[in-house]
Amino acid sequence: MKARSALSTERTSGGGLGEPGGSPSSNPQVIAATRPSALSSVVAFYRLLLRTQVTIPRLLGIGALGALSLLLGVFARLDDNSPQAATDAISSYGLAVLVPLATLWLGTSAVGDLVEDRLLVYLWLKPVSRWQLPAAAILATVSVALPLAALPLVLSAVIAGAGDVAWATLLAAPLATLAYAGLFVAAGLWFRRAVWWGLAFVLIWENAVAYTAEGTSRVTVVGWASSVLARAPGVDVQLQAGSAAAALVVLPAVAIAAWLIATWRYRRADID
Amino acid sequence: MSVVEPRVVADGVSKWFGPLVAVSDVSFDVGPGVTALLGPNGAGKSTMFRMLVGLARPSKGSVRVLGLDPRADTGVTRLIGLVPQQESVFEPLTAHEFVTLTATLHGLPDPGAAATRALETVDLDPADKRRLPAYSKGMRQRAKVAQAIVHDPSVLVLDEPLTGLDPRQRADLVGLFRRLGSEGRCVIVSSHVLDEVERLGSHVLVMSQGRLAAAGDFRELRALMDDRPMRVRVRTDRPRQLAGALLEAGTAVGARLDGDDLLELDTTDARALAHALAPVARDRHARLFEVLPLDADLEGVFRYVVQR
Repeated sequence: MKARSALSTERTSGGGLGEPGGSPSSNPQVIAATRPSALSSVVAFYRLLLRTQVTIPRLLGIGALGALSLLLGVFARLDDNSPQAATDAISSYGLAVLVPLATLWLGTSAVGDLVEDRLLVYLWLKPVSRWQLPAAAILATVSVALPLAALPLVLSAVIAGAGDVAWATLLAAPLATLAYAGLFVAAGLWFRRAVWWGLAFVLIWENAVAYTAEGTSRVTVVGWASSVLARAPGVDVQLQAGSAAAALVVLPAVAIAAWLIATWRYRRADID
Repeated sequence: MSVVEPRVVADGVSKWFGPLVAVSDVSFDVGPGVTALLGPNGAGKSTMFRMLVGLARPSKGSVRVLGLDPRADTGVTRLIGLVPQQESVFEPLTAHEFVTLTATLHGLPDPGAAATRALETVDLDPADKRRLPAYSKGMRQRAKVAQAIVHDPSVLVLDEPLTGLDPRQRADLVGLFRRLGSEGRCVIVSSHVLDEVERLGSHVLVMSQGRLAAAGDFRELRALMDDRPMRVRVRTDRPRQLAGALLEAGTAVGARLDGDDLLELDTTDARALAHALAPVARDRHARLFEVLPLDADLEGVFRYVVQR
């Protein structure tokens, strides 16, 4: 492939219309001085992601799943052993279905929608550290999922008249929400159509695999979250991965690990 | 405090996606002023732009913006403004919120005021409460330009920024880009429309099939294009007489008859042929029903430049 001699393909100095020197902001010292504070940029990301995440269909869908848990609370109250019935409902529906599906829907869309819509370019090309966007996405996901998914679980235990279970759920549901949020935000950055991958993860890994063999619950979020429920006295939790104390460490660790992976991915990925 | 001249340097840059080579061994060095990156759709312009600002990592070679790697150093993004080609926008945001977000993420002390100034610069109303999807295509395009200039960058990369604008808006933005270039910024604008490029600036880079086909002054490129052999189809009631006269005058170097009324002419000087055609037809009492250049499209132009 040749270029005409007058129009050389050799390096050429372009433009030349303006005076050399450029604007004051071209000084590297100014570059460092004009970075936004981490707090202000995380807050800016967080507010944006909240607004893009919160849509009427999502609120209605997750709200309906949350309302179902309240109904299960009513049924549990009618049971002879209402604390146990409430625990079963919270473990098998709330922590295994409601919380993961709610965070899946929100978490994969937090950054995933920006990737799909090719809007990430507006956020990537900024003088901010790469960890901030995934962190803001996890925070935004948790912020929406807590009132819509975790809180109804606590209320369902209250409705069932199982006070101790309600206290345990108050700890278990937010921890599960945090862990799932981390995983699904990372998935949104990693996979196209992450919601389908996430759905397969929830149905196969978090439900089928968790119950199939001895010890498999130790590699599931639902197993560790259910372990926290076992703190409530007088109830038997079918799925326990370990002690409640260990769960308090494992679940945040899952979220942190997922956040680091998401950051790594965000730093290395080509942005479209 | 030393000041660095805004320069963008690509050194042997290639980018491939599996077996597909999108950009192949492109090198250039552009400084202050407006530089137009010209090429047909699919030439690799957008991929090149993504590498210039750090959005994509070159498979081979390197890119430097003011001497720094835009991929590795997030700080250099403070100096870059980008108008991406994609039309998608943040649906829940107004134009002012969109530009304020950019100003905030660039750490400007008063993001709201900066956003207002930037929107006014592109002739948009900062108080407009409509969300971005309610804007016309041209207004969204101007909002994208506003977010690219809100932090007063010294390097501006604009991927097809005039798409969707009406002629007045195009003229205004071309004027803005030229002014930004004349103030010492490095402004790189891509386009696949030759006339747009002619108004943008004198320096051009021509990309075709992922390669840098030519670089230099636009006037030289224009002259090259005007000088290239062209085919012109003429529909007339006297094709044979017209062909003979034009060949005799030397304004056509070849002629082919097609049916009773079609004539295909080869010329090396399209301008001379255009001037000669009507007088010759009048002298030969030939009526002209249609005059159509057959390879004046941009793809043909680039093919010619690349093949030279």
